[in-house]
Amino acid sequence: MKKLLLVLLMLIVVLPLAACDSGVSDVPEETEEVVVEETEEVVGEETEEVVVEETEELEPILIGNIQDLTGPASAAGRPQTWGVEYAVQVVNENGGINGRMIEVISMDCKNDVTEGINNYRSLVDEYNVVAIIGPGLSNPASGWIEVSEEDQVPIVGHFMDEICTTDPDTGEVYPYMFLVEPSCSQQSELLAKYAVEELGLTKFATLYNTGNAFAVAHAKPLMAYVEAHGGEVVAEETFTWSDSDYSAQALKIVAAKPEAVFLSDYATQSALAYDFLRDAGYEGVILGANTMSSTWSTLVKNEIHDCYFLQNYDIDNPEAGVYDMTRLWMEDLGADFPAGNVGFGWDAVQVLVAAMRKAEDPTDGVELRDLLEQTDGVQLAGDTITIDPNTHRPTSMGMFIVTYDENNLMQFLTFMKP
Amino acid sequence: MVFQLTINGISNGAIYALVAVGFALVFNILRFSNFAYGSMSSACAFIGFFFQRAFDPPPPFIVTLLFASFSGMVIALLIDFLGYRRIRINNSPKIYYFLMSLNFSIFIEQILTIFYGTNIYSYPSIFKIQSLQVGSLYIKTMNLLILGVSVLLLVALILLINKTKIGLAIRAVAIDAETSRLMGINSNMIIITIFTIAGILSGVAGVFLGVQYGVYPGVGPSVMLKGFLASIIGGLGSLRGAIFAALALGIFEIFLTFFIGATETTVVLFGIMLAFLFIRPQGIAGKLVENKV
Repeated sequence: MKKLLLVLLMLIVVLPLAACDSGVSDVPEETEEVVVEETEEVVGEETEEVVVEETEELEPILIGNIQDLTGPASAAGRPQTWGVEYAVQVVNENGGINGRMIEVISMDCKNDVTEGINNYRSLVDEYNVVAIIGPGLSNPASGWIEVSEEDQVPIVGHFMDEICTTDPDTGEVYPYMFLVEPSCSQQSELLAKYAVEELGLTKFATLYNTGNAFAVAHAKPLMAYVEAHGGEVVAEETFTWSDSDYSAQALKIVAAKPEAVFLSDYATQSALAYDFLRDAGYEGVILGANTMSSTWSTLVKNEIHDCYFLQNYDIDNPEAGVYDMTRLWMEDLGADFPAGNVGFGWDAVQVLVAAMRKAEDPTDGVELRDLLEQTDGVQLAGDTITIDPNTHRPTSMGMFIVTYDENNLMQFLTFMKP
Repeated sequence: MVFQLTINGISNGAIYALVAVGFALVFNILRFSNFAYGSMSSACAFIGFFFQRAFDPPPPFIVTLLFASFSGMVIALLIDFLGYRRIRINNSPKIYYFLMSLNFSIFIEQILTIFYGTNIYSYPSIFKIQSLQVGSLYIKTMNLLILGVSVLLLVALILLINKTKIGLAIRAVAIDAETSRLMGINSNMIIITIFTIAGILSGVAGVFLGVQYGVYPGVGPSVMLKGFLASIIGGLGSLRGAIFAALALGIFEIFLTFFIGATETTVVLFGIMLAFLFIRPQGIAGKLVENKV
């Protein structure tokens, strides 16, 4: 009886593990046959045609895509993956890279560094991808800096924290990491510039998660910009991943009487922070990072007012490059709101493909790296991009300042350039 | 500011009290800390959330609360039937209760993660007005509800324990299970009653946690530690001690966060728990208990 129970217990433990999904997309193998005809003509009395048929298999170019498909950042990661896969589909429909199709293998890093490294190793060692599209968030990407250099695999993404592209101590560029949107400090400075110059605010406070590199990398530059331009940071309050109650921090901020509070976290944490601030009686301006887009408004319980945040795209403008693809995404997934991260996925693929098209061997990581450094004037969904070879970040890309109207719909106010 | 912090702290403490009392009840009878309690709360948070979403328009919040309480009761009884009952029947060492409760805790949390990922779901707003202003004080309407329901439940529980026959039986079994059995008290029924009550409390706690902080697999375990802390400080097995300690913990925690910061507060709180275990392991109101697990 005891032996039977032991066997049953082992089955109960083993079976769910075997059924676990690792979040890897199925990758069917494809080969393409190309028929090449050669003709040879001799001009003169006789012409002779020699027709030679050759069949050549063109292997697809495998690229990896690591995003936050689950977890607190999945509201960004899922549309980004869709954008990547859609962009690849469009590239393939237009002939691929010199006739070679691109195949993308998507994985879920769950906003976790260890998970991100496991995904990376799987993509490079098992699937032999030539490049990787990275997530929109910096925590997992920071784990790939050294391995991407060892394996010579370029990683193109939206990991905005500068520590993902340059050494914070020496300023030395990480050779295989490329950012294709304004960095955290560039974004924070744009927002601070708007708050100081357009709104005329002088007293600021911040509330952010010290365990989130994204949040820290936004908060610090904003505070530095404010203080460098005659403003004052009257309160700097923090919380951690294990905290779910920010009421004490909110009360402290309210007591400091700021004119604006900057919330730089992911959508869920910044929605909680917004509610705690309003519940504590704070009625002033709330400034936010680009995580405050439409999904955020569904998480907030209080009325949304006096809220200004950044967005990469004018997502509701039918003439904007990102409009059609975000509507297609909404239709495809039955989503209620457009997501700018669709554009992120699209943009990352455009930058990578632009380099691949110029390459003699688009699967050569070193050559790809060199060409990515020379990215110049590539048209993306929102703006054009030129990458600075010294930082592997855009030289000057602008962003929109957005607010919410009384119906909780995003209203685009202005486009700010550095 | 002191009043504001105190009010916020009492509300947090009310949720900790629901958790701490759940611990204390089980500990009283079975002499172990039921670490599956946190995951049970998470499961009830999800159940309440999807119950609300299943109807258009959503049902009144009280209906969701009742449904989640019932679900909590079912989960608690299931855990007892599948896990703890066998240990009781075999008269196995107490350590197995601890191991079983840990297993259930991880098992439930991972099942929730498999089905729902680590995404955070948001309950719809329960009240149109999120906070009331009374002079310079801001009181969250949800906090008032949490406090009201928690007080009702805990008062009802204390009355049950102290003023009813079944409460008398529970106290008798808590003091000496063997002798109680000899006196004709059906200890199995008492244990089922205890798990029923603990399950109801976990259901209510789960919904409140989900409304306050979002619904995700780790929401229950994140608060369970604080409830456990409160039950240690209050005295393992003492209901009144657990309630008092939970409320004090909620207030103390918010004051600490206000004055020294969130990260440092966690260190201080667990330092206090260590100090209690060192200096007064029976807690504020408990008695020294042998065979604690």
